[in-house]
Amino acid sequence: MDLSFLLAGCGQTMTSFFVPTFLFLFLPGCILLYSIVPQKAKKYVLLIVSYVFYWLVSGPLILYLLLSTVSVFGFGLWLEKIQNRMKTALKALPKEERKAAKPAYIHEQRCVVALAVIIHIGFLLVIKYSGFLIGNLNGILSAFDSPVRFGVPQYLMPIGISFFSLQAVSYIVDVYHGLIPADHKFFRLALFMSFFPQIVEGPIVRYHQTAESLWNVKPIQYRNLTMGLQRLLYGMMKKVVVADRLNPLVENIFDKANQFDGGIIALGAVCYTIQLYMDFSGAMDAVVGIAEIFGVTMPENFERPFFSRTISEFWKRWHISLGAWFKDYIFYPITASKRMKNLTSSARKKIGNHFGPLLAGSIALFCVWFCNGLWHGAAWSFIFFGMYHFVLILLGNVISPAVKKVNTALHLRPESRGYRYMQMIRTTLLVVIGELFFRANGLSSGFRLFGRIFTTFSVTGLNSETLTKLGVDAQDLLIVGLTVLIVFAVSLMNEKGIRVRERLEKRPLVQRWVVLYALILYIVIFGAYGFGYIPVDPMYAQF
Amino acid sequence: MDRLIEILEDIQPDVDYANCTNLIDGHFLSSLDIISLIAELEEEYDITVPAVEIVPANFNSVDAMRKMIERLQEDF
Repeated sequence: MDLSFLLAGCGQTMTSFFVPTFLFLFLPGCILLYSIVPQKAKKYVLLIVSYVFYWLVSGPLILYLLLSTVSVFGFGLWLEKIQNRMKTALKALPKEERKAAKPAYIHEQRCVVALAVIIHIGFLLVIKYSGFLIGNLNGILSAFDSPVRFGVPQYLMPIGISFFSLQAVSYIVDVYHGLIPADHKFFRLALFMSFFPQIVEGPIVRYHQTAESLWNVKPIQYRNLTMGLQRLLYGMMKKVVVADRLNPLVENIFDKANQFDGGIIALGAVCYTIQLYMDFSGAMDAVVGIAEIFGVTMPENFERPFFSRTISEFWKRWHISLGAWFKDYIFYPITASKRMKNLTSSARKKIGNHFGPLLAGSIALFCVWFCNGLWHGAAWSFIFFGMYHFVLILLGNVISPAVKKVNTALHLRPESRGYRYMQMIRTTLLVVIGELFFRANGLSSGFRLFGRIFTTFSVTGLNSETLTKLGVDAQDLLIVGLTVLIVFAVSLMNEKGIRVRERLEKRPLVQRWVVLYALILYIVIFGAYGFGYIPVDPMYAQF
Repeated sequence: MDRLIEILEDIQPDVDYANCTNLIDGHFLSSLDIISLIAELEEEYDITVPAVEIVPANFNSVDAMRKMIERLQEDF
């Protein structure tokens, strides 16, 4: 076995949980070490293996994570100090004077929060976006025939920085709001920031969700181990059998689009959407499963998004933790600001209950989707992706009274099965269009591909010759189709309130192990690995 | 408290506010309704609803909203 991954920063393939070095060496090693050390030492084992993991995948860039944690720890204590000072001072004042004295302390805390946000988000902005900004600036200069050019900086981006920076900000803001006390245990905070299953692709967790359970870990139990492994394998099936098998097809369609007609491009957009879902939700299954082995409950990041009836609902079910972060730290703080509240009040009186709040809401929504687009990457196609969803959600809100009227006039029942299915299909189609732009190699390429779907559409383009060009065969499509059906069936049962895993847990031991072995065999037989396949990096790790 | 239900009905009619306990989680009130509601509550009850209070637990039922209003009125 090649052990070169043990060198710092050389274990980058381990960012995927489904490679042999992680599955057969790193994870079992962690579980073994965790099991044999005394109870008191288990949390430290988790912290050490988390840092070892990060060191293996990032090498010296581990310094970013460490500095980020030290900074967050310090800012938390600083805020607490001001809060304690405020409490003592206000207590000493008569009640009627307290209201006047409070703003000075709030202002002081806000300055600390602002400094923390500037440091953490500023750092992320410099590393991730300075190249994009300077590239565009050079483009503008060139358009005006200016000889001035700025050097485009090339920074090494630490893996997971987009995830742990948001966690750092949420911790600081939550301490400021008094939702959580500042952590006095550095190692507890460090474990919350670095827990190895979630550091690469999230979910972006809030301090109150995992910090305490990570610190008070319990011995590994048989149920947690088997349930965790089962979830890990389910995620592996999604990633290795579907996402990785679709990879050559998607790459070929998007990279050599000129060779294919509109029908194939549409197929590419659909396949990419499936690939992204299976890749990312599969990784999240693994995160939840691995955490479960250690007795930690991770918040779910997906809730069967393709059953959504509107785009707005879709984003409450897809990458839930990112949407929740934007809602809590961007949307509501903007709409709850004094200016926006005044705007809402006056607008409601003038243009009514529906359109009144829409003004402030749309400003906040714009900020959310601009940030969402940019969070995914420094490129115009990502900004367009964000704006596309902003427009769709805004449009949904603007036309909803008219839609209600039309439904009443046409005697359409929004709760009827047909209406709901129609909404789900429409939402999925809109999502697929968005993903086409998301995956395209640049914004202009996205528009070109989208246009070609309509100008060169044909249903006869998919034949054995095209499949060869796409790097797949009929067997690949059959296996992908079958696995998507399995995932769909499980999702449908969960959607209907049938808790598949809990039901399975109640079945006799033999049946449970049969399912587990069947899952392993399915992955071994149908997984895309070995000769002819190039391991595919987790898609969300690059964001 | 009747006034609170009046405000809610003005913003989003056709909801059984007296008995509903999942106004947010059950998607009866959208984020835009919440923006509207907050502006109205602040005016009516002379309170300030900070962003940190905008969580489902405070808006899922009329009772929860009442408790939040009382708490914010007492807040110095």
